[in-house]
Amino acid sequence: MNRGVEIQHLKKNFVLTRWSGFRRKVSEIPAVDDITLSIPQGESVALIGPNGAGKSTTIKMLTGILHPTAGDVTVLGFVPWRERRKLAYHVGAVFGQRSQLWYHLPPGDTFELLARVYNIPRSEFVRTRDQLIDRFVLGPFLDVPVRKLSLGQRMRAEVAASLLHRPKILFLDEPTIGLDVIARQELRDLIREWNRERGVTVFLTSHDAGDIEHVAERVIVINCGRVVLDDRVNAVRRQYLGSKVLRVQFQEQPSDFSMPGLRIIQRSGYELKLEVDSTVTPVSAVIGAILRAAPIADIAVEDPPLEEVIARIYTSTSQTGGSS
Amino acid sequence: MNANAITKYTWISYTAIRSNLAYLGEVLSRTTFMAVILYTFMRLWTVVYSGTGTQRLGGLTLQQMIWYVMLTESMVLSSVRVSSEIDEDVRTGRIAVQLLRPLSFSMSRLAQVLGERTVRFIVNIFIGSVVATLLVGPISISFTSIAMLLLVLPLAFVLDFLGYFGIGLCAFWLESTTGFVLIYSRLTMLLGGMLLPMEVFPQGLQTIARWLPFAGIIYGPARVFVSPDEAMLMHIMATQAIGLVCFGATVWMVQRMAITRIQSNGG
Repeated sequence: MNRGVEIQHLKKNFVLTRWSGFRRKVSEIPAVDDITLSIPQGESVALIGPNGAGKSTTIKMLTGILHPTAGDVTVLGFVPWRERRKLAYHVGAVFGQRSQLWYHLPPGDTFELLARVYNIPRSEFVRTRDQLIDRFVLGPFLDVPVRKLSLGQRMRAEVAASLLHRPKILFLDEPTIGLDVIARQELRDLIREWNRERGVTVFLTSHDAGDIEHVAERVIVINCGRVVLDDRVNAVRRQYLGSKVLRVQFQEQPSDFSMPGLRIIQRSGYELKLEVDSTVTPVSAVIGAILRAAPIADIAVEDPPLEEVIARIYTSTSQTGGSS
Repeated sequence: MNANAITKYTWISYTAIRSNLAYLGEVLSRTTFMAVILYTFMRLWTVVYSGTGTQRLGGLTLQQMIWYVMLTESMVLSSVRVSSEIDEDVRTGRIAVQLLRPLSFSMSRLAQVLGERTVRFIVNIFIGSVVATLLVGPISISFTSIAMLLLVLPLAFVLDFLGYFGIGLCAFWLESTTGFVLIYSRLTMLLGGMLLPMEVFPQGLQTIARWLPFAGIIYGPARVFVSPDEAMLMHIMATQAIGLVCFGATVWMVQRMAITRIQSNGG
């Protein structure tokens, strides 16, 4: 399989200058600290980590926007910061909160502009655009100015715009931020479909565990600029995302119940917050036990917060000495 | 620049024109300010002309003077503060989106600015001409005056763009470029002859100001339009050429340094 992205000992330090009276103090803050990775073409990878972990900095070096302090990177055979414009023809990107669409014009006008920017032959452009309009259901709002679109519509148009030149790699930075549950799921499905059917390599950064589970095959956790975990999503899910949080509102005092892998996190009045290790006991079995304990007014099943998952990963990797 | 590149940047200008036409009402509303300025200057210059008892000041009649001010105001009010946009793009990290395109950062901004400015200038000069005609009557506009204006105006816009773009690039080093923008815009207005044509400047200042790039940004296009003169045209174009080389070389060097200094603002 082709090597899409090769990263060797990548480092990026940001220089911070402070003035103390007339004295200038210069310090270096490591944002990315010796990352080595290999991403085959066609893989979908989630880069996760807390704010300031170095994931966006890594993506910006992979797209040639930032120059590294040290290390080597090739993306599709290009050195990004030396061949930024050549690489740009093969790369698509969506930065969740930074639009590439012209605000006062309909998405169709931005598509026409992008066709010229990427030198897409007319027939190829029309074919790809029509496919994207069809698959992303852009037709109803293709001629509506972007300022009048809902966030979900805009994000669908954003992703479609980034795919118009048929990039080999797609960088997605928080693509589902601010979207409602349905719009989020739709967008995840579309990204996954483009990755699996068209062989587009997907780089995803997100704070949403759902994005990672639904889009990525591989997850790379970065903290303090270092890779602390690199594994298949299925393996990570089994190991770290195996637990679910259940919030239950009973109509009356429930009778006591316990099951293997079940832990009560919080109890107040008729309300219970439970954590279930779904690798030990299926969530459906726990819900059955809850229904037998007392009539319920409301129930919600949630993933544990990603921060919690990451915290577990850190604990686990610090105990084993870390991995990358 | 090859044909593909020309198509790219032309299309950016075209898209910017369409985008500006989408909110033409806002562009039109800005011209109200120009009507007030023109009325004020008409009153002011009427007093000056009658006070001095002369038909011409700096070689211009009262009518030509008001049309001169109309043109300078049309140019100044159509200016796109690209420096503020770059300043914000750098601070918010939005510059990353622009650098992901197979485009030259400076050329794409220039194409966008020229598109925006074209719409604004056409609206300004149309409304300004109506107001000037109502206030002092028309001036004789020949094919030569229009041709000379069309020759120097694009160069003036590019020169002005380079000035603001260069200041905008300072955002890579400074927290805010507002102070520089203020100084630059005031220098352009004063030394560029926005309020007074250079012929009425004191002799010493006039000699210097005629060779500064600011003369090629505002004074030149307005002067050759209201009073076309071949020697003046050559001088203005020479000033613009010198300005383009100096500003262009500075911007090129600053941009090369700036691109390597991009920080990952805002994730």
